[in-house]
Amino acid sequence: MAILEIKHVSKFFGGLAANSDVSFEVEQGMIMGLIGPNGAGKTTLFNCITGYYPPSKGEIIFDGKTMNGLQPDKVCKLGMARTWQKVRPLAKMSVVDNVMVGALCRTNSLKVAREMAMEQVKVVRLDHRANFLAGGLPIGERKKLEVARVLATQPKLLLLDEVMGGLNPAESEEIIQLILDIRKLGITQMVIEHDMKAIMRISDRIVVLNSGEKLAEGSPEEIVKNTEVVAAYLGSE
Amino acid sequence: MNIFIQSLISGILIGGVYALIGIGLTIIFGVMRVINFAHGDLLMLGMYGTYYLFTLFNIDPFVSIVFTIPLMFLYGGFLQKFFINRVLGSLPQNQILLTIGMGLIMSNVVMLAFTSDYKILSTTYSSSSFNIMGISISSPLLISFAITAVITAALYWFLLKTDTGQAIRATAQDREAAQLMGINVKRMSIIAFGLGSALAGTAGALISPTYYIFPQVGSIFTLKAFVITVLGGMGSIVGATLGGILIGVAESIGGVYFGSGWKEVVVFVLFLLVLLFKPAGLMGKSNT
Amino acid sequence: MTPTGGISALTKLFSTKPQKIISNLLIGADTTMKFPLNNNKGISSLAVITSLVIIALLFMLPNYVQSTYALHIMILIFINIVMGSSWNILGGYTGQYSVGHSAYFGVGAYTTLILMQFRQIPPWYGVWAGMLAALVIALIIGSICFRLRGPYFVLASIAVAEIFRVSALNLKDITNGAEGILTTEIPPFTINGTVITDFASKVPFYYTGLVFVLIVILATWLIQHSKLGYFFQAIREDQDAAHSLGISLTLYKNTALGISAILTSLAGSLYALYVGFIDPTTVLSLELSVSIVLICIIGGIGTIFGPIIGALVLVPLSEALRSNMVGEALISSGLVSAESKFGNFLTENLSHAHVLIYGILVVVVILFMPDGVLGFFRALSAKKHKETV
Repeated sequence: MAILEIKHVSKFFGGLAANSDVSFEVEQGMIMGLIGPNGAGKTTLFNCITGYYPPSKGEIIFDGKTMNGLQPDKVCKLGMARTWQKVRPLAKMSVVDNVMVGALCRTNSLKVAREMAMEQVKVVRLDHRANFLAGGLPIGERKKLEVARVLATQPKLLLLDEVMGGLNPAESEEIIQLILDIRKLGITQMVIEHDMKAIMRISDRIVVLNSGEKLAEGSPEEIVKNTEVVAAYLGSE
Repeated sequence: MNIFIQSLISGILIGGVYALIGIGLTIIFGVMRVINFAHGDLLMLGMYGTYYLFTLFNIDPFVSIVFTIPLMFLYGGFLQKFFINRVLGSLPQNQILLTIGMGLIMSNVVMLAFTSDYKILSTTYSSSSFNIMGISISSPLLISFAITAVITAALYWFLLKTDTGQAIRATAQDREAAQLMGINVKRMSIIAFGLGSALAGTAGALISPTYYIFPQVGSIFTLKAFVITVLGGMGSIVGATLGGILIGVAESIGGVYFGSGWKEVVVFVLFLLVLLFKPAGLMGKSNT
Repeated sequence: MTPTGGISALTKLFSTKPQKIISNLLIGADTTMKFPLNNNKGISSLAVITSLVIIALLFMLPNYVQSTYALHIMILIFINIVMGSSWNILGGYTGQYSVGHSAYFGVGAYTTLILMQFRQIPPWYGVWAGMLAALVIALIIGSICFRLRGPYFVLASIAVAEIFRVSALNLKDITNGAEGILTTEIPPFTINGTVITDFASKVPFYYTGLVFVLIVILATWLIQHSKLGYFFQAIREDQDAAHSLGISLTLYKNTALGISAILTSLAGSLYALYVGFIDPTTVLSLELSVSIVLICIIGGIGTIFGPIIGALVLVPLSEALRSNMVGEALISSGLVSAESKFGNFLTENLSHAHVLIYGILVVVVILFMPDGVLGFFRALSAKKHKETV
């Protein structure tokens, strides 16, 4: 059953088509990989899906509801949360407080929110940093913080934008395990990533974007063998 | 109808001076992304300087810009190097507060030194005007418009044709890229603030024959300068030129039809409308 | 103009990285910042007891201190604390720097006095009308200005306040224009015929001010320890991130503004009743807006005690200047001769210099202590304790 349907979504900035007639579906509980060379329009698509700006054309249907034009806060409340390509910690607040902001999306009680937050902090293994200011964390921990924060909003669908960007192999491995654990919780995920090995390991299905258009869609094995995909990456190298 | 044309023309004439103020502010913003809240006070310093050059040494205000320009340029460079430069990386709010503080210091030092008494600079031609087809045109305003036009033309030439001018434009477009190409962006910032100050001071000199001179006169012009630059598009010199004339006209005509007490409100309302509907301004340069 | 060479430019590029790392560490080390209760000890009982003792002392003060001048200073300090703390809710916690808060101060002042002078409505009702007016205006202003970010918001807030000031100057029928409004006498406050207090002495103003301060501090504390506080700060830290986490920017920004405006109008009403005279230049000016911001940044934005410290610094300073205390002290101590030119200059002009001092303070604070006095000392002490809050 499709939790997210992208139907002929296009996004224009002036004359530039950042996304052009993109269509695909994401099934509940799966991990969908979203890949493509730089500038393919992946983050733009995330932004459209989460309401950061509306698509110029097309429909975005989440959990049966049309999402076009909804504000980001409503999107989050409906169960779709995203992380940012360039991390956005709430710098002058502590790690726990950061995650509490996410938790307060679902509860009004500070006490409950703190409990929920500590749970997520433990899940991403940041408990030793719970009271540190987010602004002082190194990049790997900031990424984990961002994941903990969105998990606290109890999403049905989680959009991860290059969550492994800038991490060393050990840190990336931690994130991969985290993503697999999140799947066990039943949360659907869409993951933008440049790390090909990682994407192959975690994705159930992959969508490839190139210059704003959908180039290919299929299982990891199919994508790896797809000559057009290979050409797109080599061509833009 | 005559009244309309009359106010239109005087609006255009004063608009020229407003354009100078706006251009100065927009250069500063363009190069440093700093919103200079002391801009009007720089104008005020130009006014006082001109006043004393006139009363003490009998130098005609329009002639004295020969002194005003370099002096204000140096002063602006000094301010940038020792004050503004330190907050270039800070929150914009802190930058604004800093320039507000600097403006307060300038206007209050002047007040302590010269008292708040309104000063009037009367030249022989201060109130003279001449008549074209029944329209009365103020002579000092016309002269200042002419000088403004010359200065603006010189400025355009400087920015388009000289190396330094192009370096300034490059820094305004993309500071990092300019730096990577070997442009000394720190120096450009100093020059930009110097230029902006010189333009503000000159504007002050040009309007001194026709305006009351007092220490707080700056704040009115600061706000106007912002309206002009936002209207024209922050960072766009052409926009500031057009914006200045537009605001001059709007103010002049608004004053006639709504009463002179409401002139400023007309300008502020215009400001809010622009901020709401076309925050990028007429020439729409990208901002934060 | 010689190119400085790609190498030095590249070096500049790479040298920013270590600077960023260091500044990150400093922020991380600056731990005792604004935020509450991550530790489970909650507020220490010592802090509670100290606060209660201080409050009790303040309540008893007029019984022991006869000097009307001392009362006067305390009342001014109270008004300033209310102004600063109210602004703090919007500026310090939510990160929206309004430099047009005089609009709300002035609305409170004018509403209360207009109702009292021209409609004979006692100020204890007028104050509520002032708060309501401030709230309405705040919501209107918010709907216009909150679409704008950062410096544009600042500019819009200034423009709006100026529109109010010029309107007050022009709408002479309502506000008396530049002449201002002078109060005659505040009617005595009675309940069921018994006079509780008249307003002949400063004492009732003192207590009213003290109560307002307690209200504002309580409001700030409640906000800081509630969902509102978390959401306000999230908006301050990263508006887009907050938005994506389910926080409605419009709702919360306007809530912050509304609370801030209402409390600021309280300060305005009290000022108007106490001083007895208002005009657009005193209660609706840009200078007033700047001094409101100054109270907060001197003490430390986004903290409960910051505005208190700011008021404690600013009020005595400006009063000392205004009343020529500094000048007279310099002369009587023999440092400056009364007949000398400098002496004359001091006596004549130092009383006008308080705005100059504001300007200098703003510059000094922004350049050297952008986190205010509190932040400055925190940074010092944070160098000793590096890790947890």
